[in-house]
Amino acid sequence: MKCLLVANESAEVLFYWTDTEFEQRVQGQYGVSQEEGERLPAFEDSINTLFAPIIISCSTMVDRLGENYTSFSTENNHIYVLHQFEECLYIAVNGDGDETEEDLKRKIFVMKKLTEIMFGMVTLSGSLLRKELRPQDTEQRNRLWKKLRSLLETYSRLRENDQSFLVEAVERLIHPTLCEQCIEFLERRLVQQINSNMDRMGEEVLHAFILVHTKLLAFYSSRNASNLYPSDLLALIILVQDLYPSKINLDDTSEELESSSVPEAFYTPEPSPPERESVRQRSDSPPVFQFVDPDVQMAEDSLQTLEAPIPDPSAPYRVFLEAKECPMPHSMYCLPLWPGITLVLLTKIPNSHVATSVCYFLEAFVKLEKRLCEGHEGAAAMRGQPSVQEQRSRLEKLIKTWAGMDIQTSQLQNAWTDFKNKAFSRSGSGFTRDLLPSCRNMKTQLCGVYRQFFAADCMGSQRLAPHLQERALSMVQEKLMDWKDFLLVKSKRNITMVSYLEEFPGLIHFIYVDRSNGQMIAPSLNVTDRTVSELGKGPLADFVKKKVWSLVATAQRYLQKGYATVTLRDGDYFYCYFLWFENETGYKLEVIDIPSSPDDGAPVGMLTCDYYRKLLRYYSKKHQNEVVKCYELFTVHLGVIPNEYILQHCSQLARKLWEPTRIPLL
Amino acid sequence: MQPMAETAALAYSRRFFFLYDSSKVQEEGDLTRDGIYYFSPEDTPVDQQELLCGQLAGVCRCVSEMSSSPVRLLRLRKSKYAVRMKDSFIWALSCVVDIPDVSLCDLLDQLIALFCFYNGPVRQSYQLYSKEDLALRWARYLCHLQGGSTELHNIFSCLRTIDSTHIDPLLLLKAALILQACQRCPLVLAGCILYRGRVVSTQMTPALTMKVMVYETQMYSQDFRVTANGLSSSVCSLSSFTATTQVFLTPSELYVLRCHPVERAYRSQCSQPPCQPSKSRLLSRTLSDTPTTDTDSSGLDLMQCPPASYQTLPSSPRSSLSDEPYFSPSPSRVNTPLHSNLMNQSEYFTPDSHDHSISNGTNLCAVKESLAGLNIKQDTDASSGSETKSEGVNSDQDIQSDEIKALANGYEQSNSLDNHLDHDNQIENEENKLDANNHVMCKNGKFQGETEEEARTKSKQVEGRLEEKYEPTNTPSPHETLGDTSLVPSVLYQHRVRGLVLALLVEPEFHTDPSAREEVHHSSMASLNGLEAHLRNTLPGTPGPPGPYTFAHYDCIQNTLTTNVCGHSAGPQEAFVRATKLLHSHFSHLDTLQEAIVRNGSSAVYGTRSTAQETYFLQRGTPVRNSGSPDPQDSAFSLPRKARQRLLKHGVNLL
Repeated sequence: MKCLLVANESAEVLFYWTDTEFEQRVQGQYGVSQEEGERLPAFEDSINTLFAPIIISCSTMVDRLGENYTSFSTENNHIYVLHQFEECLYIAVNGDGDETEEDLKRKIFVMKKLTEIMFGMVTLSGSLLRKELRPQDTEQRNRLWKKLRSLLETYSRLRENDQSFLVEAVERLIHPTLCEQCIEFLERRLVQQINSNMDRMGEEVLHAFILVHTKLLAFYSSRNASNLYPSDLLALIILVQDLYPSKINLDDTSEELESSSVPEAFYTPEPSPPERESVRQRSDSPPVFQFVDPDVQMAEDSLQTLEAPIPDPSAPYRVFLEAKECPMPHSMYCLPLWPGITLVLLTKIPNSHVATSVCYFLEAFVKLEKRLCEGHEGAAAMRGQPSVQEQRSRLEKLIKTWAGMDIQTSQLQNAWTDFKNKAFSRSGSGFTRDLLPSCRNMKTQLCGVYRQFFAADCMGSQRLAPHLQERALSMVQEKLMDWKDFLLVKSKRNITMVSYLEEFPGLIHFIYVDRSNGQMIAPSLNVTDRTVSELGKGPLADFVKKKVWSLVATAQRYLQKGYATVTLRDGDYFYCYFLWFENETGYKLEVIDIPSSPDDGAPVGMLTCDYYRKLLRYYSKKHQNEVVKCYELFTVHLGVIPNEYILQHCSQLARKLWEPTRIPLL
Repeated sequence: MQPMAETAALAYSRRFFFLYDSSKVQEEGDLTRDGIYYFSPEDTPVDQQELLCGQLAGVCRCVSEMSSSPVRLLRLRKSKYAVRMKDSFIWALSCVVDIPDVSLCDLLDQLIALFCFYNGPVRQSYQLYSKEDLALRWARYLCHLQGGSTELHNIFSCLRTIDSTHIDPLLLLKAALILQACQRCPLVLAGCILYRGRVVSTQMTPALTMKVMVYETQMYSQDFRVTANGLSSSVCSLSSFTATTQVFLTPSELYVLRCHPVERAYRSQCSQPPCQPSKSRLLSRTLSDTPTTDTDSSGLDLMQCPPASYQTLPSSPRSSLSDEPYFSPSPSRVNTPLHSNLMNQSEYFTPDSHDHSISNGTNLCAVKESLAGLNIKQDTDASSGSETKSEGVNSDQDIQSDEIKALANGYEQSNSLDNHLDHDNQIENEENKLDANNHVMCKNGKFQGETEEEARTKSKQVEGRLEEKYEPTNTPSPHETLGDTSLVPSVLYQHRVRGLVLALLVEPEFHTDPSAREEVHHSSMASLNGLEAHLRNTLPGTPGPPGPYTFAHYDCIQNTLTTNVCGHSAGPQEAFVRATKLLHSHFSHLDTLQEAIVRNGSSAVYGTRSTAQETYFLQRGTPVRNSGSPDPQDSAFSLPRKARQRLLKHGVNLL
C-alpha cells in the first residue's frame, strides 16, 4: 500500500502516484464509482479530499507555529512522511511495511530530484512548476504523470534490487583493458566524429558513456565539459533504465512476476503505429511496458486511449544537469546497442549560455527578495551585489537580445518596466518592501523565459540528425560486437565472492565505496538469478541481501548522527561499517567529528542531495592544501569469526580494494 | 530559586501534554477549548492550546481514518508527540526529537496507566470530578514521570531502588520475609516495601510497583519536607499509621496477582535482593495477553460497562458521606474525599502514633483542604495537604505549611544524619535544575515571597519528587488501560513507619474485614520498625569515586538502572548519553542485535544486551588519534574487554 503525492499550498494535488492496493483501499473507503470513463477523475478527487485536511493543517502549522509535520506512524505501522520544498508539500505513504520512514523520505527527495532533472530552474517558481507538473491539457497531463510514475517505479525497483542504488554510487564493470579501449574509442572515434559533423545542428557532445544494465562500462567527457556529478549520473541511469529496463531485474523478480503477472498474460497491448516504429528502432529490445509492474499496468491501461503517440524516437530527452552556476539544459540521446547495453550521449544545446545569464539574474532577484523580506531597504537591500546600474544595463541588453530571438518576451518586458518604475524612478517606492511583488514577478518571468528556451515541449525539432545517431549506434555496435555476450554476463557477476573466500574466510559480503568520485565495488548478489551463484540461489541469497540492505540503512542512520565507525553483532552475523578520509597518495587522514544532521534533513546519499560532497567540503577546510578522498567499507561476516580476525579482514580488504578504483574514468 | 524556576520552565516549555475530547467539539460553533480536558503546561495561552489540540487532533483523526488505525507517533521538525487515541479521546505527549520513540511512547502509556490506576476509567473520572481536580492529578503524575535525576533515567524509565551495595543483604531478606508474612492473610495479593522513595523489596511487577510508588512519593515528600525543616526523625513525625486507598487494576494485573499464589510464595522464598519482581517481564506479558484479549472483546465502550463493577467504583464525595460502611470503627479504611478528611483525626491516632502535634498539623492540612473544597478522592490522607500545596494551587496551603512548621519547630532537634541527607539532596537538587521538567517549578509565581527556608523546603519537596521518577517501561498493554471499562477496583493498603512504607495490594473485602487488617498490621508492625531502624542507620553509602569510564546498566526484568552518570551531562557524558539513546532505540527495534560499538571523532561507546539487560560503556581519557579506517589496533574495539573487566565491581557480569 504505497502512495506519493505532491501538493501546493492551496491543497491542489500537482501529482500523485499510488499502487493498486492503495487505490483499492481509497475506493473501498469512499465507494467511488468504478465506471470506466469516470474512474480516473473520480479517484483523483478522492485523493484530493483524503489528503486535504493534512495539507491544510500543514500550512496552518507553518503559518502559526513555524513548525511542520515530518511524519505520522499508526499502530498498524502505516507510515506517512511529509516534506515541504518551497511551496510544494510532498507526502509519501507506506502501509505494507516494505519501506521505512527513511526510505519514504528518500523517495520524496528522489521525486524532487527527478523534477529538477526534467524541469531545471522552472522548479524555482511555484506557479510555473504547477503548470509543468499539472498541465491543463488532460492528455498532456496523463502523459507526464505516466512518465513520472514510471520513473518512480523504476527508482524503487533499482533501490530494492541494485546495490549501486542502495549505496547511491555508480558501479563500474571491472575490466580495465576493455574499459580503456572503449574510452579511447569514445574519444577518438565517436565524439570527435560527431562534433566535427555538420549535421549536429549546433549541438556538441559533452559526455558519452556506455551502460551495461546499471553498470558503467566506459565514460568519456570532452575537455571543455563541466563535471557530471554522481548525483546526475545516477539520475540519468534511472532515466535510461526507465526507457530500457534491464532483463536482469526481470529475472530478479521473476518469481513474483510468475505468480502475480497473470493479468499481464491476458493483456497484450496494441502498440500504436509510432510505437511500432520505435520497436523497430530499438531492434530486439522488448516493449517498455512489459516491465512495468503489472498492477500499475492495469491502472495505466485505461490511459491507453487517451495516450498521444510516443514522440519521434530520434528526439532527445531534455535533462537539466547540475553545473557550477545553475542547472544547465542538455539533450540526452539513449541509443540501445543491444538489450541491456546502452550508449548515452549528452550534448550541449545551442543557446545554453542563456541559462547562465537567466540564472545570474534570477539569483540576484532571489537575493533582493530575501533582503527585502528581512527588512533591509535602499542600498542595504542590494548589498553583496555588483552595482545596480551595471546590472540594470546588463539586463536591459539581455532583454533586447532575447526579444530578437524566437520567444515571447512581452510579459518579461512589462514586468521589467514595472520593476524599473518602482525601483528607479522618483515616483516609485525605491528599494523597499513595496518592491516585493514586482521582484517576485520578475522572478517568475525570468523562469518563464528559461522555460521557453529550454523546456522539453519547447524543443521543437532541435536534435542531432537521425543519420548521425544511427551512425554512432552502429559504430559502437561494431566495436563491441564480440564483447556483447561477455558484457552481459559480466554485468551480473562483475566480481564474485569466490575470489575473496580463500583470503577472507568467514566474509560473506562487502561493499566498498569511493565517495570522492561516487563509485562502488561489491560482489554480485543475484538473488533469483537462474544461474546458481556461490551463495546458492533463493532463500539464502535473499537472506544475505536483506542483511546487506539493513546494514546500509543502519550505517547511514548512524552516520547521519555523526558516527563514522559502527560494528554490530546481530544474530549469527557480525557487521562493520567504516568511513574514513585519505589524501591522494592513500595516506589515511585523521578522524574528525562529523556534524550530526537533523532528522528532517536530506537523506545520506549521493542521488538526491549530495551528503558526501558536503562532508568532503567540510573535511577539506582542515586540509586545504591537499586533495581529500573519502571511502566507505561495509562488511558482513559470520559471527563465529573472532573479532580480531574480522577487523584484520576489513583492514586488508580496504587495502586490496584501493587499487582498482584508481583506474581513471577518463 | 528564581533561576532554577526559569530553567525548569524553559525545559518545560518544550514539553506539551494534553487530553482532548473531540466529541465535545463537533458542531460548527463549538469551541475547541471545550474539548481540552487537560493541557500542560497550564500557563500556555489558550489560543495556542486550541491551535495545538485542534490541529493535532484533526490531523490524527484524518490519518487514522485513512489507515483505519490510531496514530501512535507524530513527528514535527523540532519535536515529536507520542499519541494515544481511544474513542473520542486523544492523549498526546511531546518531547524534543532526540529522545527515543520507544521511551516517549512508554512514558505516555505509563502516564495514562497511572491516571487510571488511581482514578479509574477516564471518562468516568471526568463525570465524577471536576476538570480542575483532575488537572492537579495529571500535573502530579506528569511531574512524577518526567523528571529522572539524569536523562538516562527518563530514557529507560526505570524504578528507583535502594543501593544494594551498601546494605546488609540480610535486611533485604528480612524485607522479603515481611512481605511473605503479609501474604498469609488470603486477602493480600502482593506487596512491596519502599524506603524513602526507593524500592527495598517488591512482589509486584515493575509496572505496578511504579504505580504504587507514586503514592509513596507523596508521603515521602511530606516526610522529607518536615525533615528538611530541621525536624529530627527521632521525633517520629508521622511515625506510623496505615491508610487504604481505592485503586484500579487491569484484569491482567489482577490475573497475575490472583492466580499464582503458589508460585509467588515460592518465588518470594528464593528471591534475590534487592528487589525481586513478582513476575519476569516476559512472563507477565505472556500471562497478561490472555485476559486482555478477553476483556477487550467484551467491548471497550464505557457505555457497555458492566453494572456490577460500576457499583463498586468510587462513589462521589457526597454519597460517600452517607456510605455507612466507611464509618466503621476500624482505625483505617478506604479513604474517600471529605470523608477521610473528617476522619483524619482518628486516622492518625493509630496505636503507634505518639506525636500529637504533628498529627494535629497534618490534620489541620486536611481540614484546610476540605475547606478549600478540593475533592481529592483517595489521597486526602496525611500526605495530601502537602501534596496539593506542592502544586502551588491553593494559597491556603502556604499558610498551613507555616503552621506545620511552627508545630514542627517545637520539636526541632539536630540530627547529623538528616543534615547529611539534606546536604546531599541539595547537591542533587542543583544537578536537577537543568533537566528538571518540573511542573511545579514553572509555577514559580506561587513561590515568590516565601522565606528562604520555606523556599528551600519546597525545592526539597519538589526535588524529592523528581527523584522518584524512575519508572518501569513494561506498562501492561496500553490498550488495556485505554479500554478502561475493564478496570477492576482494588485496594491499596499502606503501612508507614517513618521513611519506610509497606504497600500491599489487597482484595476489596480487606477493609471490611477488621480481623484481616489486624492480622496484617500486627504481623508486620514489629518487623517494619526493626527494618526501618536498620535501614536508617546504614544509609546512605557514599558512592566511590567515578572510574575513568562511564557506564549504564539497565535491568529489563527488574526495571532498574545502575549508572555512574551524574545529573548534568557534559563532555564525554553527553556523548555517552547521546550514543546510549541511539543504541537503546536500535536495540528496541531489532531483537536480534546483541552488541554494537559506535564511534565518532571523539568518543566510542560499546553497547551490549541480552534478554535481561542492556549495558552501555564508554572509556574516558584522551582518544587515541586514528583515521577511522579499519584497523585491528584501534582502541575502540577493545571496549568489550574493558567493559567486562571494569563493570564486574559494579555487579555487572557481561561474561
